[in-house]
Amino acid sequence: MPLIIKDEYPEKLFREDGKRLDGRDKHELRPIKMEVGILENADGSAYLEWGNNKIYAAVYGPREVHPHHLAKPDRGILRVFYRMATFSVFDRKRPAPGRREKEISMVLTDCLEPVLFLELYPGTSFEVYINVMDADGGTRCACTTVASLALADAGVPMRSLVTAVAMGKIDGELITDLSGIEDKAGEADLPCAMTWFNEEMSLLQFDGKMDLEEFSKCLTLAKDALTKIHAIQLDTLKKKYIEIQEEHKGGENE
Amino acid sequence: MMNIKRVISTIEKNYILSNLKKSERIDGRDLWEYRDWTVKSDVIASAEGSAEVTLGETKVITGLKYEVGTPFPDLPNEGVCTFMAELLPLASPLFERGPPNEQSIELARVVDRGIRHADCVQTKKLCIKEKEAVYILFLDIYVINYSGNLIDASGVSALATLISSRIPEGKWADGNLEWTGKYLTGKTIVNELPLVVTYGKIGDIIFLDPSLPEELVCDGKISISVTEDKITSIQKSGYATFSIEEIEMLSKKTMEISSKVKKELNLWQYKHDK
Repeated sequence: MPLIIKDEYPEKLFREDGKRLDGRDKHELRPIKMEVGILENADGSAYLEWGNNKIYAAVYGPREVHPHHLAKPDRGILRVFYRMATFSVFDRKRPAPGRREKEISMVLTDCLEPVLFLELYPGTSFEVYINVMDADGGTRCACTTVASLALADAGVPMRSLVTAVAMGKIDGELITDLSGIEDKAGEADLPCAMTWFNEEMSLLQFDGKMDLEEFSKCLTLAKDALTKIHAIQLDTLKKKYIEIQEEHKGGENE
Repeated sequence: MMNIKRVISTIEKNYILSNLKKSERIDGRDLWEYRDWTVKSDVIASAEGSAEVTLGETKVITGLKYEVGTPFPDLPNEGVCTFMAELLPLASPLFERGPPNEQSIELARVVDRGIRHADCVQTKKLCIKEKEAVYILFLDIYVINYSGNLIDASGVSALATLISSRIPEGKWADGNLEWTGKYLTGKTIVNELPLVVTYGKIGDIIFLDPSLPEELVCDGKISISVTEDKITSIQKSGYATFSIEEIEMLSKKTMEISSKVKKELNLWQYKHDK
C-alpha cells in the first residue's frame, strides 16, 4: 500500500550506512521467486516475483496466425504483448495499452526472437502474453526473464534462455538491479539482456549520463548479476521435472 | 495443457448431462456445492486495496486505485465507485486481446450492480467537499485463470478488495485539498456485503457454480446478488429460460448459500484498523 501520497523523490538514494534505501548493497539483487507451469490453460506459463514486481507470463503456440496476413510462408512469427495492470503503478494506468507498453512489447519481441528456431515453424505464430500485476522498477527486464521461462515451459525449442537485469547509477555510484524509486530518481538506467547460447546482448537500452569507463564497468557488473539470475531460472525449470520424476518414482516405468 | 475447445463434443455434453440427471457432477460435487474458495488480501503493494481469489482453478486479482475528482451534478455529496473487468488472454485461449468485449463488460456490470444496489459502498463517506471534491474509486478485476464462474469469484474479490482498502484521507481547507495523514479504511467505506451467486442450467437441471466444461455446455446461467435479506440484482444470460417457480426457489436458495459462504469466508478479517 503506498504510504506516500505525493510521488516525491528523496534527496539521497543511499542511507547513512552506505546501503541503498531498501537496505541492499550496491550490487545486491532484490529477492527473486520464480515458478513455471502455473496457468493450466496456456501451453506454457511462468510467474515471477522480483522485489515488488509481480508478473505472469503465458505462451500459446505454435498456432494459426490471426490476422492471416501477418503469417510468413518461410518462418514462424513471435509476438509479445506486455501489459500493465491499472493498479500496478502509483497513478492508475489507463486500461488501454499505451505507447510505452507497445514499445516495450516490440523491444521484448526483438530480445526473445534470437533464441527461437522460428524457421522451423513456417506459417505459425508464438504469442507471449505478459501481465505486470505489480510494478516496482525494472519490469522490462523482469518480463524478459519470465517470458523466456514461459517459452521454455511451453516446450518451444530454444537455443538458450534469456536473462535480463537493469544496471544504473545513483548518487554517482554504479548499482545493480534498480528499484522503482532508484529508476525514477537516479542518474542512469541501463536495462540489458543476455542470450546465453552466444553470451551476447539481446536487449540494450540506456537513459541517463555515464562516461565510457563507467559504461564498460557497468556491462562487466551486469554479467555477474545475469549469471546469478540465469542460475535461478535453470533451477526453476529443473525443479518442475524433478517434481514430476519424484511423483513417478516406484511406478511401473521406473 | 490445452484442454479448452471452443466446441465441446456431443459425447462430452451428454456425459455431463447424464451425470447431472443423477444429481452428480463430473468433478464429484453435488448440485448445490461450491468448489473450494481461497482469498488473499493485500497482494498488490502499489494498489490501495487488493485481493486474489480462487474458486476451484478460477483465479482473479482485483485492485483498487483512487482519484479525487468532481462529483456528478445530481449527487453532489457522493463519491463514485467504478468497476472494470479484463479477461486476460493468458487466462484462456478463448480470450482475445483488444478492447473489452461483451463478456468482460457483462462481468464488470453484474459485479457492479450487485454491489451498487446494496448498502455496500458508503458513497457519502467518499465525499471530501460537497460539489467540489469526491473520491472516485476504480475497482479493476483481472482474470488470471479461467475455469468457469468468473462472476462469483470476481464478486468476492471486489468485496475483499474494498474491505482491505486504505485510502489517504483528504480534507478541504480554503479551497484546497489537504491530506490529513490518516486513512479511510474498509471499515468506514463498506457496510453490507452483497454476494453474487451463479447457477447454470442444462435442460431442466439447475446447479450451483458451473465449472468450465459445465459453463461451455450449459444452456444458460442466472446470477443473483443478495444481502442478508434482500435481492439486489439478477442477471440471466444464455438461451435458457427459467420458470417462475424455479426463480423463486433459486432466490430462496441464494439467501441460504450466500450466508453460508459469507460465514465461511469471513471477509471482514481482511480489514485494516487504521
